[in-house]
Amino acid sequence: MAGGSAGRHLGWAVLPLGVVLAVLFLWPVAQLLGLSFDSPAGPLGHYARILAVPAYRTALATTFQIAALVTLLAVLLAYPLAYLMATVPPRVAKLLTLCVLLPFWTSALVRTTAWIILLQRNGVLNALLTGSGLLEAPVAFVYNLSGVLIGMSHVLMPFVVLPLYGAFRGIDQNLVHAAETLGAGPWALCRRIFLPLTAPGVMAGATIVFMNALGYYITPSLMGGPAQTMVAQLIAFNINQQLDWGLAGALSLAMLLATLAVFFLFQAVFGLERLMGGAHASGRIGTPFALGPRGRSPGGRVMALLGAGVALFLIAPVLVVFPMSLGSSPFLAFPPQNFSLRWYEEFFSRPQWMASVWNSLTVAGIAVAGSTLLGTAAALGLSRLRGPLARLVETAFLLPMIVPHIILAIGLFGMMAPWGLVRGPWALGLAHIVVAAPFVVITVRAALRGVDPNLELAALGLGAGWFTMFRRVLLPGILPGIASGAVFAFITSFDDVVLALFLTNVRSRTLPKLMYEGVAHEINPTITAVAALIVLFTVLVLLLNLLLQRRAR
Amino acid sequence: MTEKDDPMRRSFLTRSARALALAATVLATLPAAAPAARAEELVFSSWGGAYQDAIRKAWLEPFAREARISVTEDTGPELAKIRAMVQSNSVSWDVVTAGGAGLMLGVQQGLFEPITDAMVDQSQILPGARNPYGVPSEIFSTLVGYSRRAFPGAAPASFADFWDVRKFPGKRTLPNKPATVLEAALLAEGVAPSEIYPTLSTPAGMERALNKIRALRPHVAVWWSSGAQPVQALASGEAVMALGWNGRFQAGMDEGLPIAMAWEQSIPQVGYFMIVKGAPNREAAVKFLRYMSTAAAQSRFSQYVAYGPARLDALPLIEPARLARLPSTPERLAHALFMDIEWWAKHGQEAQEKYTAVMQGN
Repeated sequence: MAGGSAGRHLGWAVLPLGVVLAVLFLWPVAQLLGLSFDSPAGPLGHYARILAVPAYRTALATTFQIAALVTLLAVLLAYPLAYLMATVPPRVAKLLTLCVLLPFWTSALVRTTAWIILLQRNGVLNALLTGSGLLEAPVAFVYNLSGVLIGMSHVLMPFVVLPLYGAFRGIDQNLVHAAETLGAGPWALCRRIFLPLTAPGVMAGATIVFMNALGYYITPSLMGGPAQTMVAQLIAFNINQQLDWGLAGALSLAMLLATLAVFFLFQAVFGLERLMGGAHASGRIGTPFALGPRGRSPGGRVMALLGAGVALFLIAPVLVVFPMSLGSSPFLAFPPQNFSLRWYEEFFSRPQWMASVWNSLTVAGIAVAGSTLLGTAAALGLSRLRGPLARLVETAFLLPMIVPHIILAIGLFGMMAPWGLVRGPWALGLAHIVVAAPFVVITVRAALRGVDPNLELAALGLGAGWFTMFRRVLLPGILPGIASGAVFAFITSFDDVVLALFLTNVRSRTLPKLMYEGVAHEINPTITAVAALIVLFTVLVLLLNLLLQRRAR
Repeated sequence: MTEKDDPMRRSFLTRSARALALAATVLATLPAAAPAARAEELVFSSWGGAYQDAIRKAWLEPFAREARISVTEDTGPELAKIRAMVQSNSVSWDVVTAGGAGLMLGVQQGLFEPITDAMVDQSQILPGARNPYGVPSEIFSTLVGYSRRAFPGAAPASFADFWDVRKFPGKRTLPNKPATVLEAALLAEGVAPSEIYPTLSTPAGMERALNKIRALRPHVAVWWSSGAQPVQALASGEAVMALGWNGRFQAGMDEGLPIAMAWEQSIPQVGYFMIVKGAPNREAAVKFLRYMSTAAAQSRFSQYVAYGPARLDALPLIEPARLARLPSTPERLAHALFMDIEWWAKHGQEAQEKYTAVMQGN
């Protein structure tokens, strides 16, 4: 066959990521999980304890409930927004994409602080609701389940919105026209065209959200109440405050097994494979989906309005950051009583802030480059593997998302500190490659499923070599998947605290680590000034970009 | 000092630019640990923020000048990280800081060097604060802080008042960790200070403390996880009374927030400085601990944070206005229950598990 050896041996492309994960993930993590079988009460002592202590059992159940709820919310909220993004002019779509991604630029600590200011009993939202007479007495939105759900779905939603936006854009406009001509109403359109064709993107996004949500602990510990204690919080407690690594390992392994069980159950019941593989949205053939000449249907208008509401929800905490950063009180009073540039002065007078921004970008660069290359190759390889081996490899590639980062952090520290890697960006950069690669694997896998295999065969049959086919057919088809994978890798790296706490020192520390220093005692409002500056900078770059584009035309 | 990183940053730039192109090569050629033999140095690691700023100004900078030892600062001395350093023979810190619970746990795991009288003379240190593995750096207290707006008349004065929601109605905020809360609950029950830890050691006594917390649960607005939260909650009106640290309440009061503290009853805790086992600059570390624990040095720390000295002979060196802000004066210590860190080292995990269950509503 004209495909040549490159195509036939493509399965081997899973190897580089496989080796990296074996060395930098399986080995260090296995060492720590191994400790869970070593307790004074026999090899299963730690596990017996997990079953016996109510706090651990409750937290395990809570963790899965919260992760499932957050996933559901993220998917429900993502649909109208992705629809809106696909049906507005490209320039507005760019601005909306910015709304989706900006929250990550502000770092978890700033984000949660902003949410608390918005949601607390005497917060902005309650003032609005009671002031307008909608509520008689203020409602507690934060320090309970609603706080956790708001905080987590806010930060995890981009993982669904971006693939979903890609899926919407991948729908052939002619298909929609044809259906409309044949008399399909909005509901039939939605059920027969939009839902099936966006399913692969949604499943990819939902998988990422669910796996990620299972390991959350900073947002729930700041925005939730004790009833929302998640397993990762208890793992971190046993690692850091009790040095009981055996029990922490047992909790991690229990979580890991439960997650895998849920994963397989989900596949068996709902046929994840079928859903993801069923639709071949051959996006590159027709015109990308956009708003038709007849404008929006009433249903479409409702969807668009909902989408705008979701965009506002995403951007709300970022908007609060600006007035916060201009307040003079270190206690983040809102609205600020006196305005001052105190925290901006603090930022510019202390080079540590700029240095940490720079460190963050360096580490993210390593993470994005490494994980995009390795993840894309692995996804290509996976697409050629068949049978149980493929399933095993694919699941193995997702493991770094499920294992709590603190377990990985300790394992990697023991490996890397003796080599002096902690003093530069490498220890953290490599760790971020490990945790970011699964995102790329998932998004590129989903994109590959959207590429019509007949196109591939046609190109090869017409005499194109494998690499030519890859460059001309496959690569353009999966480029959106690679791009969203790279974006996910960047925000994963840029937002990480847990790995940074262990794998950097005072010279190589990243921005999130610097923000978390001293947080046991106080929250330094300089972090709000940093967040505001980064947001301003990003927005400026985008506006400049839009302006130049207009000029060029 | 550590802040002047400009050349370092530039080297990151060039290094990473090259590295991104030739990742594998650079990785292979990265130098392993090879510090050149220089003048005496010391690596100090603490929790960053205002706390480490205070340590720097009060102790690190004058020590570096006077002893001619160059001090490098690092941050984030998590016990887990210290343990990973010790286990992988890559200890890069000499002196680290921790609270009592952290100190005891590290001692159990063999992470710290013993500190003998020949190394540091601790004879003048408050007896309740001494420890064979750590040198006390400061005293801080857990006590009741309240909103002056909520209680303009009769103000709460004790832990019993904290629990009395009829006399002092309104939401409360408590730490999400049991240390000091279990003690406060039993003190509110009227248990004598000397009987607190013996009582907590019995299952019935522990249950009594937990029940007291269960009773207050409907009135708890926030279970706080960071020291800034209780002050924030009092300022925003989310809570009217908080169990928190005196230094944080004081910082809020200094910023003009309408907060006051009930000094009649308090639970002092001690901050410690330790030498990590296998510290690369052990001699310099001993010199620093000796310097930091002198009366003169101890009296300086409270210029920067409202934490008290760990030795009484430092008190006369502090001006009276500042003294009024500190927890370790003889009058305040007379009504205080020092937190028993050995008890917490032994029962901490079990207490946390039970406390978590109570917070979860069980």
